[in-house]
Amino acid sequence: MLPVLQIGPLALQTPGLILLLGVWLGLTLVERGAVHRRPAAEALYNLALTVLVAGVVGARLAYAARYPEAFLASPASLISLNPGLLDMSGGVAVGLIAGLIYGQRKGMPLSETLGALTPGLAVIMIALALADLASGNAFGAPSDLPWAIELWGARRHPSQIYAALAAGGILWYLWQRRKQPSAPGTLFLQFVALSAAARLFLEAFRGDSLVLFAGLRQAQIVAWVVLAASLWELGKMQKAKSD
Amino acid sequence: MSPFTKHRHPLLYLAILLAGAAWIWLSAAPAGTTTQGAIPAPHAGFLAPDFSLTGLDGEQYTLSELRGQAVLLNLWASWCAPCRAEMPAMQSVYEDYREVGFIVLAVNATNQDNIAAASAFASQYGLTFPILLDTSGNVSALYQLRALPSTFFIDRNGIIQEVVVGGPMAEALLRVRVEQLLEEAP
Repeated sequence: MLPVLQIGPLALQTPGLILLLGVWLGLTLVERGAVHRRPAAEALYNLALTVLVAGVVGARLAYAARYPEAFLASPASLISLNPGLLDMSGGVAVGLIAGLIYGQRKGMPLSETLGALTPGLAVIMIALALADLASGNAFGAPSDLPWAIELWGARRHPSQIYAALAAGGILWYLWQRRKQPSAPGTLFLQFVALSAAARLFLEAFRGDSLVLFAGLRQAQIVAWVVLAASLWELGKMQKAKSD
Repeated sequence: MSPFTKHRHPLLYLAILLAGAAWIWLSAAPAGTTTQGAIPAPHAGFLAPDFSLTGLDGEQYTLSELRGQAVLLNLWASWCAPCRAEMPAMQSVYEDYREVGFIVLAVNATNQDNIAAASAFASQYGLTFPILLDTSGNVSALYQLRALPSTFFIDRNGIIQEVVVGGPMAEALLRVRVEQLLEEAP
């Protein structure tokens, strides 16, 4: 665990740095994959930038809309660098809407665009797991296994390393198949299905799961629904292809 | 061989989903396995490690004796610029919420600072919340201090709800988090 990287008087937040590195590596991979394919690398870069900027601004505005009194008492907080003042669901919604508008205006077909972005998304999943390892978030359940790690007062499953390995495996699988002929959007749906399956399996080793009832973990149920939806779509695409 | 391209039979997908559902059931969390509130550790979801320290006012403060109150535990030093920047906001929020069960414990990392500087700092900024002196560095070690300032939002049951490493924290962040802590029933 290394939440802060101290360089002289400068304290850098390691999880944030890892995420930034992940976004950069992901976009680089998208660029390499897009050399001979549509949409063009430049359009994909601009799309990603639009989604990121709109997402961050939207997340801050959504947070301010949820807690207007706090911001009225301190308006300067609106431009604070604190990541705690971001509403994630609001940010995702605004980012996606901005991305859809940008893509439509530039004539970028949705399925092809998602397919081209998929390797980048897979890299970001690895970065997210490593950022969790640096911060100590998403920690594992107590375990006596030889590879258990000491964290938060107990020996625990290295759940963040499991997640990083699974995301690495998914990236490798998708990278091998990126040039195989398939219906537009197939690669993205495979990424969603594999990521949902990995979460469904690995959540069992987490020590911080949100439990709904009878010990059932919320994240597993959500992952199962996402897996079912993506398999359904994949099945429909394969049926259309064979018909 | 790809499960997505070779085996196109819907039965395979059905089998995957059934196996997934079975795994959810089999891996259901036994009672107590995902509740970290009983273990002390300096991370969100865990019991805040207990300590006793003497304040600049000469009083003894013990964290566990503050159960029932929302606590903002802030580790700071007088030479730390972000610590200085966020103190006025902490004082403002303390004044607004102290009557409804909120307290700030500002633990000075005295082993990397000095009492005279901490005292002058508190006077200069007109701080009225308890300033505790961690002369041995034990509380810094207990809370695995890696950067100044570090802030722990502790609910009425003594559970850490959020950790903010670095600063300065925006006043809106403090207000929202404190209100969330106060909304929770003890």
